[in-house]
Amino acid sequence: MKLTNGVVLPGMELTDLVGKLIVIEGTDGVGRSTQIALLKEWLEQKGHAVLDTGLSRSGLVGKGIKRAKEGHTLGRITLTLFYATDFSDRLEHEIVPALRAGFVVLTDRYIYSLIARAIVRGLDPLWVRSVYGFAIKPDAVFYLRIGVDDLIPRVVFTRGFDYWESGMDVYTTEDMYESFRRYQTSMLEQFDHLADEYKFKVIDATPDPRKIFEKLRNGITRVLEGESQRAPLEVASPAGGSAGRTTESPAQTPEAGAKAAAAEAAGSDGGIMDLKV
Amino acid sequence: MKRYGEHRFPGRLFVVEGIDGSGKSTQLMLLHQWLKSEGYGVVFSEWNSSLVVKDTTKRGKKKKLLTPSTFCLIHATDFADRMERNIIPLLKAGAIVLCDRYIYTAFARDIARGLDPAWVRELYSFAVKPTCAFYFRVPLEVSITRLHAARSGFKFYEAGLDLGLSEDPDESFRVFQGRIIEEYEKMVPEFGLSVIDATLPIEGQQELMREHVISKLERAKQLRVAP
Repeated sequence: MKLTNGVVLPGMELTDLVGKLIVIEGTDGVGRSTQIALLKEWLEQKGHAVLDTGLSRSGLVGKGIKRAKEGHTLGRITLTLFYATDFSDRLEHEIVPALRAGFVVLTDRYIYSLIARAIVRGLDPLWVRSVYGFAIKPDAVFYLRIGVDDLIPRVVFTRGFDYWESGMDVYTTEDMYESFRRYQTSMLEQFDHLADEYKFKVIDATPDPRKIFEKLRNGITRVLEGESQRAPLEVASPAGGSAGRTTESPAQTPEAGAKAAAAEAAGSDGGIMDLKV
Repeated sequence: MKRYGEHRFPGRLFVVEGIDGSGKSTQLMLLHQWLKSEGYGVVFSEWNSSLVVKDTTKRGKKKKLLTPSTFCLIHATDFADRMERNIIPLLKAGAIVLCDRYIYTAFARDIARGLDPAWVRELYSFAVKPTCAFYFRVPLEVSITRLHAARSGFKFYEAGLDLGLSEDPDESFRVFQGRIIEEYEKMVPEFGLSVIDATLPIEGQQELMREHVISKLERAKQLRVAP
């Protein structure tokens, strides 16, 4: 049985949602979509049906949000609620049916990015959390974490700065570089709070994408195996700063075990850790 | 982000609430005419939200894509747009703003559709608290008789046909509007709505309304503009 963050939408039956809801979070340009493409292929090869979804892809609102962002025409409360509408449409029409049918739902961002964006734009943190009170709690949130100094070169050398990702609506500066740095720094701060609050599994996103993929695979394997992931998950929360990281517990199947070992050998740094610094 | 009750603007906000056929729009129009003739800077907030939001709402209704939750959220989005773009700037400028329906309509409808009452109230907590909110109380039968005289048939969402209460639009409308009346009645004490007996003659209702409004305009007089 799945749970929500407090409120259940009318007609939403939370029992029998046998699939797994797995969230990949992380700031702009951190490589989420690359990882999701790799994970989908891998999961399908293992025989899992996968639904991949992401923000503003709903049939109801998706186009409207894109148009609104092109014109920069909506106020911050309005945009937040527009996103919430999109999310609710996808939750009811995509995510829940897929979970009921036993799919692995891989979502590129979830409510956390939306919460972070809204808070950085000055909205009341309690209000924003309450708006998303109907969201289903994921089985796991993997947060691809990167520092702003590592993020900037990636963005500069690939697609360049984007108006919204640079928070140009937030700051008065004309300097896109400065704005990007400030905005992403604030976003990372918010993500760090959220990681704590919602018990993200934090993955260092600075190494080679293959290494990140290994870590994600190991994490997801444990989620899919059910019981084995429970212990490390619960250790994370109340322990406070004492347990800086949860070490990768040996996985159950020989296959996953081998992969975990491979990942360990590939780079001892990082791993899936609890973000308590 | 300021919350309901925390806003302090020089303008005044008057809203009318009630079920369809309660006569609230007529009363608001009469109030508008009077305030204009008295020389106040008064604006009837036209609910002309941005095209983007409006298009989405329209499409959702036309194609019946909306569930109770998305119905609730898209209307909250629409309302936020009017609030941010229209109502707040007007109130900051010192205008008298008149609204035909406000957050109480959303509370009544959404809760009648099964959403959590506390959650919906929190969702709309960014709204400005009205100077005065009038609730036009009318028995369901009276409003239905009025509506039948005025137009043919009810709209899909207006009659709550999305809820599958009844196949018959008239019956569905009756059940759904009955629930809405219940919600309004709960809100009268909670939000201090000023109740007007909507079965009284039109002139009598208008007189009551104007008395209420005058008592709230003492300070706003300084903001008079040429008619």
